Amino acid sequence: MAGFRLHLGTILVLSWRNLWRNHRRTYIMLGAISIGVWAMIFMTALMRGMVDDMLEQGIRNLPGHIQIQHPGFLDDPSVVNSIPEPAGELLSALNRAGAMRWATRIKLPAVIASERESRGINLVGVEPDAEADISGIPAQISAGRFLESNQDQGLVIGARLAQRLETRLGKRVVVMSQDPDNNISERGFRIVGIYRAEMPALEEFNVYAARDTLQELLKIDGLVSQIIIVDENYRDIDRLYRKLKQSIPASLEMKPWYEIDSYLAAMFNMMDGFVLVWVIIIFLALSFGLVNTLVMAIFERVHEIGLIQALGMRPALIVYQILLESLLLLLIGLGIGNSLAILTIKPLESGLDISMVAEGMAMMGASSTLYPSLTLYDMVLANTVVIILGILTSILPAWRAAKMDPVQALNTT
Amino acid sequence: MSAIHCHQLCKTFTQGDAVITGLDHVDITIEEGEFVCLSGPSGSGKTTLLNAIGGLDTPDSGEIRMGDIRIDQLDRGSLADMRLHHIGFVFQAYNLIPVLSAQENVEFVMQVQGVAAEKRAHKAAAILKEVGLEGMEDRRPAQLSGGQQQRVAVARAIVSHPDLVLADEPTANLDSVAADHLMGLFSELNEHHRITFVIATHDKRVMSYARRLIRMQDGKIISDEAQ
Amino acid sequence: MKDISLRLAWRNLWRHGRRTWLTVGAMIFSNTLLVFSISLQFGSYEMMIDNSLQAYSGHLQLQHPRYLDEPKMRSALSDVAASAERLRAELGLTSISARAAGFVLASSDERSYGLQIFGVDAKHEPLVSTLPGLIEQGRYLAPGASAEIVIGSVLARNLKIEPGDELSFLGSGFDDSFAAGVVRVVGIFKSGIADLDRSMAQVNLGYFQDAFAMQQRGHSIVIRAPHIDAVEQLQTRVTTLLGDESKVALRHWDDLQPGLKQAIQADMTSAWFMYIVLIVLVAFSVLNTQLMSVLERTREFGTMMALGLKPSRLARLVILETGMMTGLGLLLGITLGALITWYVSQVGFSYPGMAEMAVKFNLPERMYPAISLISLTLGPGIVAFGSLLAAIYPALRLNRLLPIDAMRAV
Repeated sequence: MAGFRLHLGTILVLSWRNLWRNHRRTYIMLGAISIGVWAMIFMTALMRGMVDDMLEQGIRNLPGHIQIQHPGFLDDPSVVNSIPEPAGELLSALNRAGAMRWATRIKLPAVIASERESRGINLVGVEPDAEADISGIPAQISAGRFLESNQDQGLVIGARLAQRLETRLGKRVVVMSQDPDNNISERGFRIVGIYRAEMPALEEFNVYAARDTLQELLKIDGLVSQIIIVDENYRDIDRLYRKLKQSIPASLEMKPWYEIDSYLAAMFNMMDGFVLVWVIIIFLALSFGLVNTLVMAIFERVHEIGLIQALGMRPALIVYQILLESLLLLLIGLGIGNSLAILTIKPLESGLDISMVAEGMAMMGASSTLYPSLTLYDMVLANTVVIILGILTSILPAWRAAKMDPVQALNTT
Repeated sequence: MSAIHCHQLCKTFTQGDAVITGLDHVDITIEEGEFVCLSGPSGSGKTTLLNAIGGLDTPDSGEIRMGDIRIDQLDRGSLADMRLHHIGFVFQAYNLIPVLSAQENVEFVMQVQGVAAEKRAHKAAAILKEVGLEGMEDRRPAQLSGGQQQRVAVARAIVSHPDLVLADEPTANLDSVAADHLMGLFSELNEHHRITFVIATHDKRVMSYARRLIRMQDGKIISDEAQ
Repeated sequence: MKDISLRLAWRNLWRHGRRTWLTVGAMIFSNTLLVFSISLQFGSYEMMIDNSLQAYSGHLQLQHPRYLDEPKMRSALSDVAASAERLRAELGLTSISARAAGFVLASSDERSYGLQIFGVDAKHEPLVSTLPGLIEQGRYLAPGASAEIVIGSVLARNLKIEPGDELSFLGSGFDDSFAAGVVRVVGIFKSGIADLDRSMAQVNLGYFQDAFAMQQRGHSIVIRAPHIDAVEQLQTRVTTLLGDESKVALRHWDDLQPGLKQAIQADMTSAWFMYIVLIVLVAFSVLNTQLMSVLERTREFGTMMALGLKPSRLARLVILETGMMTGLGLLLGITLGALITWYVSQVGFSYPGMAEMAVKFNLPERMYPAISLISLTLGPGIVAFGSLLAAIYPALRLNRLLPIDAMRAV
């Protein structure tokens, strides 16, 4: 008998109709695949959303994507480890380096005292016009105003701190800190602005004054604690880093955010791994059913396969036909699963309120609203893994079907 | 067992667009201990009548009475009980549960009937011996010939001493020798145990064993003779 | 087995051995994963809570009613040392200790830093907190001694001081007066908890009360229960003792560290979401297999019904088969899960990035799963439940089966 060659179209039709021969089984399998794929993408979007949020909050609080400071500053954040304001080559490098914002900053521990209470704080001297890009505080002012110039004499404190100190907008407080000779410098400030932050701990801790004012207070004219650099996207700062590296004097240390905060770095790196593991686990759970379905379908058609072989269809074509069946099943399941995922994520885009575990979230560095983050990367990953592993899983049963002895197969009822 | 009275039984089926008459105003009475054959070509209604008598199918109209009981009015649960305790069935094929041995197939029904475990094994072995299958108790259906399988089915059908055994084409898959043996067994059981037999068939060999032959055609009884 | 039905059910499972094994395989996979994961979770939650609480906050604290929301010096308890002593006597528990808290600017030779200063009862403090036992250099406070201070390791580094050095401090006292003094550093502690090591110092309660003009007042009485499970009971007893006392509030650790319970809840919720997905997928697998198994035996069921078996009996058979299959998956899954979990509980478990996260939650760098009866059976139990539920549909279909139709089936 002459071997017959089948058009891809014919094989496709064969596979499609075979799929629906036992429609109950196909429906059940589709249901399972859809749910599995939906879970893959939905869960990943939520997790990624949370991690992205943590990263953004964390990086805002460092602050910055890249920091330049005295080599001993991070260990010992004292005024003694100050650096000069950028000049010369460094200054031009900073100005040249492209789409980003940079600013100098003074940061050191201090004590704030109202009439009633005193508290330890993080005293931050900023350049007000740059601060919106650096920490976002100017946008979070809830009463009064932010600082207006480098020489502004006012103080901006968090709402919670104001409450703790039993003070409010317009009142005076005293700020004490150490100067380079270990003398206590103190000065009175008037509170000109109150801000609210996503992380309650920060609201109680960070206090903002104008840079030059602090330099005067601490007797560190021309000195700052850090140079903060913010790029467009925290994920991709290597280019910028390399560019600046060339112009950094040896006396200064430059660190990217992921070296400053190992917790953030760990979160960042872990996320992609987590997605892969989750996708694979779901697939493995599905794979048992997938193989079962295929094996059952083949088992029911043993006689027919024998017939087809007797008619001259080559074993390879039988394998393709069965694989195609499996592929169609996977594709439909993926289609439904992806659609379900998008449909269920869209309504959540305005944020899922998780304020009942707000303090717990704060412990992890996340805010109390969860925004899902559906990325192309994650979707492509899930779909690719399902298709590739799905086909791989189907190869064995398909191959064994093709290897059947036609005579034996035909003798089976 | 009281006599079975069927009065004006009617049943129709629809197959696609066509309406098929299964039973057309059938009247018949079967007394205890009879050995009856229902014969006729395919579609004559013999299987339909058999199923009606056995409570497997309800007629559209008419009465079936066994003593005081209106079989056509029983609910499914009662019909099932009736089949379990009073009627034995032997079909053309697919009689046995493939994963149970001959003995277990017989014992299974007994367990459902509520017979105690110790009694079961003993009785099952005895009945298998009676149908000529001694030594084959532990074989599964796949290890038995067609004739032997049918005999296990018979053993199972009679183990609880039913009043009535209904057989639908029991010899259709058997060769002459096996068919002969099976029918011989039926006759013997009918004579020794007074079990009523109603057998639907179009196998002439079977008909020769019948003492009463009822021919059917197109859902009607066309002749009813003793022989 | 005397019971034929049982034999029948068991053998029916193995008519298609591969199919049964694949379905059981899905169960074993899920069960193993669940046992391991839940054991790991329980192990780490327990540790997280213990480590966080025993470091400093204890299980319960008595405080001024407004102190929790507004921790000001003025929201104080009177006669705090005596009250603590009385409580110790009435409860028969020694792990109760009084504290006072304030804030000062402290200066060493080279540096100045703001820090939280606590006045503690050096004799009883070690019974409520692990901190006194975590002295890295020097020693802990001597009970009753004056002008001694212990500080956290990061603080010591920032202030550039060692045991033996002096520290002067400046703050405001109870009556808004100046609180100032000079103390000698006798010890440096390292708890591993950033907040404590970076900003906390302890002096003797008596010295604190003098320096801050507190008289006999303090801010909290810390109670540590012998075991976390005993906390609720202890809480009830203390509440009864307090009676109508409106000047004191009893705070549960849940209020003292709200983030803790919530972080655990959030983690549990997301984990259970994932577990449910797994369980649903296994149930689908069972549904598929059992439905196919029922459909391909339609004729056989027809014969059985002709013999007088009622549909309910057949349904029972299907449920029995599912039950056996599930039982197999349960046993093998729990066994495999227990083995793997036990092994990991000996060697520990860690993945890249975990160490940094662990620090944030007061967990050690390697996690050790905690095997318990619950962790072994909770996950697999729900898988079993889901699987049996999945068998309901195929079993129900049998109810609608008529013998005639069944026997005519191809």
